[in-house]
Amino acid sequence: MIKVSVYAAVGLILTILESSLLYSLPIEFFKPDLGIPFIVYTSFFLGPREGLITAVFVGIMQELLSAAPAGAMIFTKVSIFLLCVFMKRKIYIDSRYSFAFGCSGAVLVDSFLFLSLSLLTKGQSNDFGNVVFYAIPNAIFTGFVSLFIFSLIEFLNVRYLDRQ
Amino acid sequence: MKNPVVIIVAGIILVCSFFVFTHTGVFMRGYSTAKNALGEITGPVLRVIGKPFELVGYVFSSYFNLIRTNKENEVLRSRVDVLQLQNQKIPELEQENRRLKTLLNLMEQRPKTMIAARVVGEDVKNWFKCIIIDKGTNHGVREKMPVITSRGLVGQVVDPNRLVTKVMVINDTSSSVDVYVDGKNTRGILEGTGQTLLKLKYIRKNDEIEIGDRLITSGKDSIYPKGLATGIVTTVNLNKPGIFADVDVMPFNNFKRLEEVLIVKR
Repeated sequence: MIKVSVYAAVGLILTILESSLLYSLPIEFFKPDLGIPFIVYTSFFLGPREGLITAVFVGIMQELLSAAPAGAMIFTKVSIFLLCVFMKRKIYIDSRYSFAFGCSGAVLVDSFLFLSLSLLTKGQSNDFGNVVFYAIPNAIFTGFVSLFIFSLIEFLNVRYLDRQ
Repeated sequence: MKNPVVIIVAGIILVCSFFVFTHTGVFMRGYSTAKNALGEITGPVLRVIGKPFELVGYVFSSYFNLIRTNKENEVLRSRVDVLQLQNQKIPELEQENRRLKTLLNLMEQRPKTMIAARVVGEDVKNWFKCIIIDKGTNHGVREKMPVITSRGLVGQVVDPNRLVTKVMVINDTSSSVDVYVDGKNTRGILEGTGQTLLKLKYIRKNDEIEIGDRLITSGKDSIYPKGLATGIVTTVNLNKPGIFADVDVMPFNNFKRLEEVLIVKR
């Protein structure tokens, strides 16, 4: 539980930093999803309970710092957690590079789930073009950033938390 | 499956979030409580973190300005370099002073009806166009209040928290503003595209409109007051099939570079 709390706190700080820092910089095309690496990590390496807590926390946090429709981010993040749980025995994450691939894939799934949810419930999606346009750049950039997040988590585990 | 209970709980959360997405009353109440609780943590952090990053933004934009100056004028480069190093903080303060003066002038015109706020962040998703400001319900901010600058319209308040507020910018895909073409009898709906340019919809091909026309709010959408500058027409395409013209509009505000805004009380 301590690990989840630490990861959640790190995720919260990183996301708030992203919201503040990226506003000051003229970068729009690449915006990483800093919550997904934590969901993937906890779901794959800790356990389903920890993964679910992280997914819900990240979902609420992103809805707080975004104009996303209520419930949308929680839905997509919990769906990604469920996918991670079901794929745990099928995908083998053995390095930070395979972790980065996993995170990039999860970002694509996130975009696809959001569009499906909007289309299913409302019959239309104003954001369709935007979501499709940014899906691949976001996936690439999130994959890149998750290399560092993986190293950061491993560093925290080795230095401050018990390695299981 | 090792832990079926967690999977069942996840399934329940998934169903609940689906109902929240469809705005079902009972689920919305629980959702609001959880969201407000987390908002109490993120609000103050965002307000504190926002300050130093203004400096980062300033350094970054200075860097790009310097590169452009280099390209334009090699001779002046070294001089600009030295001057910028010497006066790194002064131009920023002067700029801020100028901006604040124009805001103050605007506020003095209607002192009780406006709240000045500083932009502290933006949407973490690039799917939506929203900014976060450092004033919330504690300062009298309410939903659907228009947000402006001295240049023109910014957007409307969508989610006020106790300490910070989300403002949907007019280039968000969910934004629509009822506008007039200034000085002409042409009216249309200005819609966000998610990109820099906005689309002016429902302008008939025989309506009076041309490139360079200014758009002002009509006040008929019951959100934005009448007469706020919104943007300038950049493209009018009459070759599109159908009865309506395809009109692109450039907003007066650069939404990536807003620092202070005014919230209009209603």
